[in-house]
Amino acid sequence: MDFFMKYLLTILIFFPTASIFLLLPINKKNESLLRNLSTFLSLVEFIISYYLFVYFKPDTYKFQFVEKFNWIPSFGASYFLGIDGVSLFLILLTTLLTFVSLLSSYRYIKEHVKEFVILMLLLETFMLGTFAALDILLFYLFWEFMLIPMYFIIGMWGTGRRIYSAVKFVLYTLAGSLIMLFGLIYIFIMHYNQTGNFTFNLLRLYHTNIPAGLQILLFIALFLGFAVKVPIFPFHTWLPDAHTEAPTAGSVILAGVLLKFGVYGFFRFAIPLLPTAALILAPFVIVIGVVGILYGAFVSIVQRDLKRLVAFSSVSHMGFIMLGLFALSAISVNGAVIQLLNHGIDTGALFLFVGMIYERMHTRQIKDLGGIAKKAPILTTLFLISVLASVGLPGLNGFIGEFLILIGSFRYYPVLTIIAASGIIFAAVYLLWMFQRVMFDESATSPHSSEHHAEIFEDMNLREIVTVLPLIILMFLMGFYPAPFLDRIGPTVLHFISMINHHKIVYNAIKIKAGLSNA
Amino acid sequence: MHNIMPSIYGLNFLEQSILSIIPEVVIIIFAFMVLFLTFFEKLAKGKNSYYLSLIGIGFSILYVFMLSGRNLIGFYGSVVFNGYEVFLFIAILLSGFFAVLISKDYIENFDIPYPEYYSLILFGISAMMFLVSSNNLIMVFISLEFMSICAYILTGYIKGSTRSTEAALKYFILGAFASGFLLFGSVFIYAAVGHLNLYAIHTYLENISYGSPNGLSRLTGISEYLSAGLLLFLVGLAFKMSLFPFHAWTPDAYDGAPTPVTTFMATGIKVAAFAIFLRIYSLIYNFNIINFNDILWLLAVLSMTFGNIAALLSSNIKRLLAYSSIAQAGYILIGIIGGGLYGYSGTLFYLLSYIFMTAGAFVIVIIFENSDLISLDIKKYTGLGYKRPFIAAAMSFFLLSLAGIPVTSGFMGKFYVFSSAIKSGYNWLVFIALLNSAFAAYYYIKIIVKMYMPDNEDSVNSCVIAEGKNYGIINGSIGDGLLITILICLFFTLLMGIYPQIFINFANYSAASLWRI
Repeated sequence: MDFFMKYLLTILIFFPTASIFLLLPINKKNESLLRNLSTFLSLVEFIISYYLFVYFKPDTYKFQFVEKFNWIPSFGASYFLGIDGVSLFLILLTTLLTFVSLLSSYRYIKEHVKEFVILMLLLETFMLGTFAALDILLFYLFWEFMLIPMYFIIGMWGTGRRIYSAVKFVLYTLAGSLIMLFGLIYIFIMHYNQTGNFTFNLLRLYHTNIPAGLQILLFIALFLGFAVKVPIFPFHTWLPDAHTEAPTAGSVILAGVLLKFGVYGFFRFAIPLLPTAALILAPFVIVIGVVGILYGAFVSIVQRDLKRLVAFSSVSHMGFIMLGLFALSAISVNGAVIQLLNHGIDTGALFLFVGMIYERMHTRQIKDLGGIAKKAPILTTLFLISVLASVGLPGLNGFIGEFLILIGSFRYYPVLTIIAASGIIFAAVYLLWMFQRVMFDESATSPHSSEHHAEIFEDMNLREIVTVLPLIILMFLMGFYPAPFLDRIGPTVLHFISMINHHKIVYNAIKIKAGLSNA
Repeated sequence: MHNIMPSIYGLNFLEQSILSIIPEVVIIIFAFMVLFLTFFEKLAKGKNSYYLSLIGIGFSILYVFMLSGRNLIGFYGSVVFNGYEVFLFIAILLSGFFAVLISKDYIENFDIPYPEYYSLILFGISAMMFLVSSNNLIMVFISLEFMSICAYILTGYIKGSTRSTEAALKYFILGAFASGFLLFGSVFIYAAVGHLNLYAIHTYLENISYGSPNGLSRLTGISEYLSAGLLLFLVGLAFKMSLFPFHAWTPDAYDGAPTPVTTFMATGIKVAAFAIFLRIYSLIYNFNIINFNDILWLLAVLSMTFGNIAALLSSNIKRLLAYSSIAQAGYILIGIIGGGLYGYSGTLFYLLSYIFMTAGAFVIVIIFENSDLISLDIKKYTGLGYKRPFIAAAMSFFLLSLAGIPVTSGFMGKFYVFSSAIKSGYNWLVFIALLNSAFAAYYYIKIIVKMYMPDNEDSVNSCVIAEGKNYGIINGSIGDGLLITILICLFFTLLMGIYPQIFINFANYSAASLWRI
C-alpha cells in the first residue's frame, strides 16, 4: 500500500498501457470480451484515480503525489510528476470520460474493435501524462504523441469526410505545437544562459528572467500552440470538422479532455512562464475570447447538423473560459477552472445523446429529426437536463462556472463582460431551439424523414443509462454543492493569482520608474 | 597538440598503424573470402556468402569494441582511430549489417550473382570506415572514390533493368563531377597551407591566427586560395550528403538501385559523408576564413524546403523516401551549424537515429516490392493496416519518427539539433525547420492514411496480397532477415525516443574526441 501511494501517479498513467498487453493476445473475433474487458479496465483506472481525490490534501497549493527521477540528465530533463487542485480534477475527468466513452461505443463501433479499445487506452495514458507532467520535455512528449491515437480514432471510425478531418486535425495541432516547441526550447536555452544549467523543471523555469519585449514574442509562440488546442476563435476551424466526423467516443474525448489541454497549457505554462507578456496581452486575448463566444453562438444557431451545432457551441463555451482565465482575478479563474470541468461533462453528455440519436436514426440533420420525445421519454428527460446544464440553468453545474467567470471579470472588463453575458442568452437560443426541433417538432417537411423510422425509435437501454448517469449526477452535484470542488481548486488558483500579482507589482514599478526617468 | 612525429619513428609505429585499421582490414579480408567463393561452384550457391558477410561484420564490430578507448594514429598520421570512429564505425557497420540481412530474399528474386554482391557491400563498408577515419586530404579522396565506385556498381546491379542502369550512369557521371570538385578543393587547400594532414592544417591555421586581434587577418595572401579550396571541397561533400543544389542524383539513384542498396546508400553513405564533413568542419572550416555558417544555413534551408515539397508531390515510395532523406540531411546540417560539443553530439545522435528509422522504412518497402514498377506506388499500401497489422504499425512508427513525433528517436534527434542551433542564436533557422517539420508531417501521414483508412471497402480487398508476388513474403510469412531488421530498428527507434541518455553519453564521448588532437 505504501508503494502504491508513493507511485500512485505513475501507476495511474501507465495502467492503461499495461492493460493493452492484456488485450493484445485476445482474438480479434472475440469482440464482446474485448469490449467488456477494456471497459472494466477503464473503470479500474477511474477507481485508482479516485484514490487521488481521497488522499489529496485540500489545504495547500503545493504539488502533491510528487515523483521525480532523472531521465535525461544531459538536458536536465527529469521524470517529474505532480498534481495540484486543477490537474486533480482534470485527471478525474479524463478517467471518467474514458470509461464513459468506452461504454458508449458498444453499439457505434462495429468493426476493428480491438484496435479501437487499444487506441482508447493508449490515448488515456498520454492524456493523463500531460496533466501530471511538471517537466516541460516530458509534457511535450505526452502532449504531442496524444495526437496520434486521436488521429486514428477519427480517421478509422469516423463518418463522411473523416480522412480530411483527421489530417486537418493533426496538421493544425502539429503546426501549433511545433511553434510552441520553439518557444519552450527558447526559454530552456535562456535559462541555461542565465544559470549555466540545463533544466526542464517547470518550477525552476518559472524563475527565468526574460525581458518584456521577448516575453511577448515567446508568448505568441506558446499562444499559437495552446490556442489551436483550445481552440480560440480564428484557430478553431479544425474543430467542427473533427468533432462532426469523429465517432461518438472520439467526440466525447475531444470535447471533454483534449480541448482542456489548451486552457491547462495557458494556466500551467504560458502565463506563469511569461507573466509580463500575459499581463500586457490579456486584454487582446479576452477580446478574441469574447469574439469567439459570439461567433460560436451565432454560427451554432444556423447549423443544420446536430453534431456540428454542439461542436460550435464548444467554441462559444471555450471563449467564456478564456475570458475567465485571462481576467486574472481569483474568482474568475476559479470559475474558469470549474467551467472547464463543466464543459467536459456537459458537452460530453451532449455528444453522447447526439450519438444515441444518430445510432437510431442514421442521420444528424436537424430537419430530418423530430418527434423523438413521444417515443423515448427517458432519453428526452436526460437530454433536456444536459441541455439545460449547458445553457447554464441555476441548480445545474453550468451556472456556477459562468456566474463565477462573469462576476470575477466584470470588475476588470465591464463592457466585454456584458457582451460576453449575452452569449448565455444565445446559448439558450440555439440549444433550446435545437432541442425543440429535434425532440418535439413533428413537422419534418423533408421527404427523407420517413426513411428514418422515428416510429420505431427505441428508448435508452440500461447500458446507455449507466453511460450517462455519472455525468448527470455530476451536473446536479456540482450545481447544488460545488464546495468539494472549489475547496481543492481554490488554494491552487490563489497561488496562481498571487504569483501574477507579484509580477504585476514589479511590472508597474518598472513602468513608474521608466515614466519618472522620462520626465 | 600531440606531436605525431615521434610516433612515426617509434618502435610501435607499425603496431599502431596496423591496430588503427584492424576493423577495416577484417571487413576487407572477409570481402575477399566472399569473393573467392565464386571459384567453387558448389559454395557460391546457397547461403554461404550471406552468412560469411554477417560473420565478417560481426567480427569487425567485435574489434571496434576491443579497440574502443584507444587513441591510435597510424600511417604517418593519415588514419586515426579514437572515440569518434568508435561511434561512427558502429553506425556504419550496423547499416551494412542491415543491408546484408535484407538482401538475401531480394537478390534471389532478381537473379543477381550473390557472392560478388555481398563482397561489394563489404568493400563499401570498409571504404566508408576508411573515409570516416581518414585524416589526410588524399586519404579522404581515395576512400571517397572507393566508396563511390562500390555504390555505382551496386546501383546498376540489376541486370537488364533499364531503370537500374540509368540510375547507375546518372549517379556515376554526377559523382565523377563531384569527385573532381573535391580534388580541386584539396589542391587549393594544399596550395594555400602546404599540408595534407588535417591536424597539420589545423595547427598551421591556429598558429598563423594566434595572437592577432582579428583572428585571421594575417592570412592575407592565402585566404583566397583557402576559401576557394574549402568551398570546392564543400561542394564535393555536399554531393555525397545530398544537400539541395547537389541533390539531383538522389531520387534517380535511390529509385533505380536495388532497394537493399538504396537502404545502404541512404544510411551508410550519408552517415560516412556527414561524419567526414563534421571532422573537417570542426578542424578547418571553424576558422571562418569566410563565413561558412551562412553558406550552410542556406544549404540547410534549401534542402529542407526542397526535399519536403518534392516528397509531397511524389507518389513512388522510394522517391518519396529519397526526397525525405534530402530534407533529413537539412535537419542534420542544423546540428553542425549549431556547433560546439552540444551541436556535434546532437548531429551524431541524429545520424544514429536516422539509420534506424530510414532502414526500417526501406525494409518495409522491400517486403512489398516486386519487379513491377507499380509495386512501389504508395497505393500499394492501401489497407495494409488490416492485412498485416504488425508491419503496418512498424511502418507507421518509422514514418512518425521521420516526421519527428515524440516517443520516437526522430523527435529526440530533432530536439537535440534544434536546441543546439537556438543555443548558438540561429533562431530563424530553427523556426524555418520547425515549420518544415509540420509541413513534412503531411506526406508521412499520407502513407499512414493509405494503410489504415482506405477510401472505400473495395480497395481493402484488392490490396497487397492479391497483387502478385511480394519479394519479402515467402509462403505467406516474412523473411527472417527482414523481420530481424524491423525488430532491431523498432527497438532502437523506441529506446532512443524514450530513454536516449545512454546514446547521448556515447555521442558526447564521441564528439569530444574530435578535439583530442
